[in-house]
Amino acid sequence: MRNLDFQKLVPAYVQGFESYQPSKPDPELMKAYGVDHLHRLNNNENALGPPPEVSTIVEKFPVKNVPVYPSGDCFYLRQKLAAFYGKTPDRFLIGNGSCEVISSVIKAFCEEGDNIITADQTFAVYEWVAEFSGFEARLIPLKNNRFDHRAMLDAMDENTKILFVCNPNNPTGTYWDTETMEAFLDEVDNRAIVVIDEAYFEYVEKEDYPDGMTLMERYPNVIVFRTFSKMYALAALRIGYLCGTADIVELVSRAHIVYSVNTLAQEAAVAALSNDGTFIRETLDMVGEAKKLLCGLFEERKLEYVCNEGNYLMVKVPLPDTLMYRMLMRKGIMVRTMTTFRFPNWIRVSLVQRPVMEAFCKAFVEVLDNR
Amino acid sequence: METANRSISLRLFADSSLIPLVQGAIEQAASVFGMSHQRVLKLVMAGEEIISYLAQTAHGGEVQITITHGGWCVIVDFSFEAAPSDLWIINLAAQKKANSGQEVEHLGLLLASRMMDRFTVRLKGRKVHLELRLDYEYLVLQPKLVRPKMLRGPLTIVDNPEPALIKEACAAVVNQYPPYLVHTAFFTPGKTVDMVAGGYLDMIVAVDEQGQLAGMLSWRAPSQNSISFSGPYIFAEGDDVARKLEMHLLKRVGRGNAESLFSDLATAQLVSENFESLGQIEFLQEDEQSIQMAVWFRLLRDDAGGAVWAHHDIVEFLEKKYSDLCLMRTIRQVDAAGESLPERSVFSTRLRPELKEATFVPMVVGVDVSESIARQVAALREDDYRNIFFHIDLASGWQAAMGGALLENGFVPRILLPKGGKSDVVVFQYA
Repeated sequence: MRNLDFQKLVPAYVQGFESYQPSKPDPELMKAYGVDHLHRLNNNENALGPPPEVSTIVEKFPVKNVPVYPSGDCFYLRQKLAAFYGKTPDRFLIGNGSCEVISSVIKAFCEEGDNIITADQTFAVYEWVAEFSGFEARLIPLKNNRFDHRAMLDAMDENTKILFVCNPNNPTGTYWDTETMEAFLDEVDNRAIVVIDEAYFEYVEKEDYPDGMTLMERYPNVIVFRTFSKMYALAALRIGYLCGTADIVELVSRAHIVYSVNTLAQEAAVAALSNDGTFIRETLDMVGEAKKLLCGLFEERKLEYVCNEGNYLMVKVPLPDTLMYRMLMRKGIMVRTMTTFRFPNWIRVSLVQRPVMEAFCKAFVEVLDNR
Repeated sequence: METANRSISLRLFADSSLIPLVQGAIEQAASVFGMSHQRVLKLVMAGEEIISYLAQTAHGGEVQITITHGGWCVIVDFSFEAAPSDLWIINLAAQKKANSGQEVEHLGLLLASRMMDRFTVRLKGRKVHLELRLDYEYLVLQPKLVRPKMLRGPLTIVDNPEPALIKEACAAVVNQYPPYLVHTAFFTPGKTVDMVAGGYLDMIVAVDEQGQLAGMLSWRAPSQNSISFSGPYIFAEGDDVARKLEMHLLKRVGRGNAESLFSDLATAQLVSENFESLGQIEFLQEDEQSIQMAVWFRLLRDDAGGAVWAHHDIVEFLEKKYSDLCLMRTIRQVDAAGESLPERSVFSTRLRPELKEATFVPMVVGVDVSESIARQVAALREDDYRNIFFHIDLASGWQAAMGGALLENGFVPRILLPKGGKSDVVVFQYA
């Protein structure tokens, strides 16, 4: 038998791609850094936890349901979403986190020689999925920390299949207002799919913030992504979804794995949508208070920071962000380093309850003062 | 003989009767690749030295010779499979027991290296590679006195500068910086252009609104998970040139494969808040003057801690370094404990004859480790090598265990390179 030379079997675009290294589990990190607690301020999780309706579902989840496959197409959740948004269930496709639907959309629309367009300093998964699938990712620099709509349009050609707009953008929190978004969609003029990723939709209270769910009724090339991981705090269950025209959703579903969303996640998501909105208000109040506290500190220390929409902000530190990470970890605080987002020396901080924010401020000041 | 792309390969047995064949192949190939006759002869002589060395030390073994046009150089690679017991032959100063029972020293590899710009010995799996590299002849720049320019208008960073800009940047570096801070390639701008075109070197330059050159930074990837840079070189008065170049570099490499970024040649204009200091390394120049080279680094990813191996005599050095760098490591001590070891040690080697610099990496640590280190160093000292380093990767207990032998032989731990290899690497220097 021949020796296996698996490298020969791997396409060049996969060979040249480095696999993502997720961080170690918290207990391992705590052991490594010698701390007895760890405040997770790195993943924009909602530290309040999910709405109370979800707790009931999780706590009472029957063991007898564990051996049974979930609903393959998330039947009840799609019905719930349809009622919630006033649309039909066939306009929703549910994924194991929105990362899965990103992958499905790219697989459904792109073939050899095609490209996608997005920003260089945004959620990395659009770029990664395109590149490890062999498609070009055209990365447009942000302009004043915003997606540059003019440059994105200029980068389009006949092989452009999808434009990804993260609105509000992770990590800068900036957004396109309704006027900008509509002008952009008018100029795209149905030549390509426009994905509006609204992972942080529920965190935006601005009046001029466009709702992709409404826009798609006038622009059939729009697909909207939303997630239960951020506001609804179901990150551990991995559940997100897309919404588009029924025709587009049917097409994307051909490239989408069924049965990828587990039963508990589906039921928890239905329960989360049943909350009367008080949970969202509490979360927004918590985020607002945290923003005030942190921005005040950064002003006082004369540090450059970016604080817009979403439950996070970014601050530029006068040392490598990877060193700042280690020094904060020694004090039980975990933030997100931004070099991999192409923001060297910036850290992103999730906005959570006041006591934790105060612990962050104390640790942050100690690191800067002892440096 | 077969040709693929820009390389030529032949397979033969290590036998002195085949020396003319090897000479002929190298001569023909290097000539076809455009190397000058004088240089071709150097390559032929070095190749002859290697094949006759292999004919003596590994007679009859199968050897593959690959001659490659490397853009700015010609590379001749001799590769062969070697049983672990035969690996000793790739030591620079190899010793073999003669019939009389006496040890006979073979210096063929060292002799071959003298004629080359770079000589590398490395082991890939069970395959040994002896690699000769000779660069093409390029016009060499002589430094000229120039006055710093004043910048006009905002700066722009140029990715992938065109050849004319690369050459102008090389001249500016040579004119404005002392030779020890200049990447050797910059003295030959044509070679730098070819290295950039070949993807061996990356470069960015800063220009003002008139297109006037303001600064330059270059980098390369010495391994899959690390990047080394030279600069920032600043040619004009005006603020923020260094900072802008460094930020641009970090954006370019931040989402790539590398975990760490190190300085090869760091200038005084480096913005210290973008990096962490690893200390200094002393380099002895031709005139025996010593130069302290600052070494800087930064991680490009979060560090999750980990365990490293260390000989007990360098634990104190490591504890201090890890504490200074705020790197969480569990140090596990390791030393020889009377277990059976291979008879002979084997070290891979990278020689930079023009700088009289040698870097060793252990491949096999045997019973004779201390004696073998002493022998390699003596051979190099005999050849006027002034800067001799050993890199020990702390991911491997067997490598870490030779720390004691290095200390015994006059080496001292100088620098810790976090994530410089599979794990952290300690650079020992012969003092």
